[in-house]
Amino acid sequence: MPIHDQGYRRYGGDRAPRGHSWAVIASAGIRTFFGKRAFLGLLLISWFPFFVRAVQIYAATNLPQAAFLAPTPDTFRQFLDQQEIFVFFVTVYVGAGLIANDRRANALQIYLSKPLTRAEYVFGKLAVLMAFLLLVTWVPAIVLLIVQIAFAGNFVFLKNNVFLFPAITVFTFLQVTLVATTMLALSSLSNSSRYVGILYASVIFFSSAVYGVIFVVTRNTMFSWISFPANLEQIGDLIFRLPPKYDTPWLVSLLMIVGLIVLSGVILERRVRGVEVVA
Amino acid sequence: MSAPIVAADHLSKWYGQVIGLNDVSLTVPPGITGLLGPNGAGKSTFMKLITGQLKPSKGGIKVLGEPIWRNPALYFRIGFCPEQDAFYERMTGLDWISALVRLNGVGEQEAAAMAHRALEMVDLLDAARKKIGAYSKGMRQRVKMAQALAHDPELLILDEPLGGMDPTARRKTIRMIKEWGRAGKSIIVSSHILHEIESMTANILLINQGRILAEGNVHQIRDLIDEHPHTVHIKAEQTRALARQFLAHDDVLSLRFEEDAVVVQTARPDAFYARLTDLAASGELGTIHEVTSPDDNLQAVFQYLVK
Amino acid sequence: MMAQPLRTQPTLVASALRIFDLSLGQMLWSRRSAFLGVLLGGPVLMALAIRLLSTTLGPFQINGARVGGAAIFGIMIWLLYIRFIIPVLGVFYGTSLIADEVDDKTITYLFTRPIPRGAVVLGKYLAYLACTVLLVLPSVMLVFFLIVPTGGGSIAEAFPFLLSDFGMLTLGLAAYGALFAFVGTRLKRPLVIGLVFSFGWEPAVLLFPGYLKRLTVAYYLQALVKHEMPQDSAINMLMQVFREVPSVPISLVSLTVIVGLSLWAAGRAVETREYVLEQ
Repeated sequence: MPIHDQGYRRYGGDRAPRGHSWAVIASAGIRTFFGKRAFLGLLLISWFPFFVRAVQIYAATNLPQAAFLAPTPDTFRQFLDQQEIFVFFVTVYVGAGLIANDRRANALQIYLSKPLTRAEYVFGKLAVLMAFLLLVTWVPAIVLLIVQIAFAGNFVFLKNNVFLFPAITVFTFLQVTLVATTMLALSSLSNSSRYVGILYASVIFFSSAVYGVIFVVTRNTMFSWISFPANLEQIGDLIFRLPPKYDTPWLVSLLMIVGLIVLSGVILERRVRGVEVVA
Repeated sequence: MSAPIVAADHLSKWYGQVIGLNDVSLTVPPGITGLLGPNGAGKSTFMKLITGQLKPSKGGIKVLGEPIWRNPALYFRIGFCPEQDAFYERMTGLDWISALVRLNGVGEQEAAAMAHRALEMVDLLDAARKKIGAYSKGMRQRVKMAQALAHDPELLILDEPLGGMDPTARRKTIRMIKEWGRAGKSIIVSSHILHEIESMTANILLINQGRILAEGNVHQIRDLIDEHPHTVHIKAEQTRALARQFLAHDDVLSLRFEEDAVVVQTARPDAFYARLTDLAASGELGTIHEVTSPDDNLQAVFQYLVK
Repeated sequence: MMAQPLRTQPTLVASALRIFDLSLGQMLWSRRSAFLGVLLGGPVLMALAIRLLSTTLGPFQINGARVGGAAIFGIMIWLLYIRFIIPVLGVFYGTSLIADEVDDKTITYLFTRPIPRGAVVLGKYLAYLACTVLLVLPSVMLVFFLIVPTGGGSIAEAFPFLLSDFGMLTLGLAAYGALFAFVGTRLKRPLVIGLVFSFGWEPAVLLFPGYLKRLTVAYYLQALVKHEMPQDSAINMLMQVFREVPSVPISLVSLTVIVGLSLWAAGRAVETREYVLEQ
């Protein structure tokens, strides 16, 4: 026809298959944070311990007088311990507002009115936080392992400690999953990211403080399961084949971690809704 | 001549690289003034500057003869109704307004009485003891206006006061604003709903892209827009005969026919109206039922100047 | 034009008291106070548990030495209240004083009134102090009455410690609250800064000798802790922290200066700052 219709036309191009919408949320979230200079500064600072360890490994492999600095599996365990402070700050910075800001802006209804399931929404948000947390835990630890191989010029260390790669992976993924689900669940409870940040800090520090009091009073580390960070430490020691710091059975610590993840899932299931049902 | 209520002198405001207001010099006379402009024009920036929420980047602004920035004493004489729908939701309307009035240095009982009067003025007395969280959109808008006038200010600054109101509430509010104007208050009303501003006042301030396009009486402004011909809509019996008559004069630039009417564009409306009056009086070209000017109004001024 | 009734601008203090009236009810009855309740209920529940345990298992012992209730109370005051609850409340409420009004977009109503803007900060600060003191002190009192009698402790003998603890905790709330009120008026991410300060800077700096510890609030609060502590190797390390403590008068003056300076600076900050609300 000579004169074409300039009106609305339905989209006739390709569509991604259902179930990929979470990636859209994740990529948008990640891009947003990469655009913030203060956050980039935090990420940069979080890699500082990596550089210190890399120098240590270089010295140990190239200077005979620095051989005492040679890395052991405990080096990687300690490195991940040191990264916990950055895990905390990245979690608060990135995670506190992930769902809280959407609730404040009434954006949940808009999200869930699209062909997007609640699970996809939650996984998308989770992916944002987990991506950054892995960037300050798993990535530098694995790169450190690679750096050790590169500086040593052989695979001896890796062959002797072949469990290190899966240990780092399993521990960091467990840590990141626990931290991210907990923070996301807290973020869904409020529409103030500030309040969520404090709630999260309270969960971490209050549980540690309570355990601290009980330890000082009873001189017994059996109660370490009360402390959020101590449970992760206990499991971390087990994964890295190190003697455990606490007397708490590792199964109890693991159950606490799994229980917290499940509880977070239940909270998310109840709180992430397009409408609030008033009975 | 009364002193202006607002005087801006080469007023500019920018946010980083973005200019909100660009070298604005104006005076706002006492009475009701409508502040008009499309979204992003600089209305909010101007409102925030005249209410002392923002500091000018350059130039100066005086409200009621005094600089407003960091001059809290001026707020005795100013009442501000902001655009945002934000309240202390758990408080009742009466408690909220009383608490705000108390910040004017008023005692508790007097504050409650003033709050009561203000709520009565906005027709919200029945809901005075209900929590604001339970108010409808229109009620929330009215309680916002009540807090602005509870302390009986000289100058009311209303930012989109009709937002969210149903037609009945809008009419009531417009009537109230006109009454306050008649009672001697000066009012600056910001809106982008042109016909509502037009029903409140003929005195406007038209702003776009951070600059003032026009200020003053809307009809005078219209007359000044020479390059835009005036449109006259004439409903008559013999439209074609009338058209032949109109085309004989060079001030008629164009015309078109509508059902039972002819729409004329003229460069000299005074001369055209004089001829039309004679024609209507003589009746030689049939009866002329109705003569209207669709563009002697704010909409036309807005469109011509903002385009 | 209508004649205006003459009005005198309320003084800073009178304006602040009116803001205090407006804010106290909101702070006390907000949902966030539920968080406060949980936070302050935790030590009470712990105290109850310890009391029950001591009743069934007998008095607690450390290395054969009996631990009195007063010592346990002292440990709880230090580990739970001073090192955790007081800083958390200070960070949470202090940084939110003005930020909450800005987020809720109600700041316009307060800043378009004939009162100095500094009065808004002062009034809200006083409301925060009243709210937290009203909730913290009863919690401390309950813990005191539950814990002190364990192990044969005497309430009458320990009562002066309770009174000095009341004063110390009130000063701690005042100092942290004022400091973070200033941080909240000046910085974009006050919560993260507050957490870094309370749980990063202060614990780190207090461990090392030198002048840096004078840049903390905890250093001055320590001097006001007068509790008897159980003697053992772990506590001895803790006691090292107490070695370099200022005198009580210096601590009191320093804390007062911190409160005064921070509130003055916060008032100055809001006077000159422009608040552009999100549309």
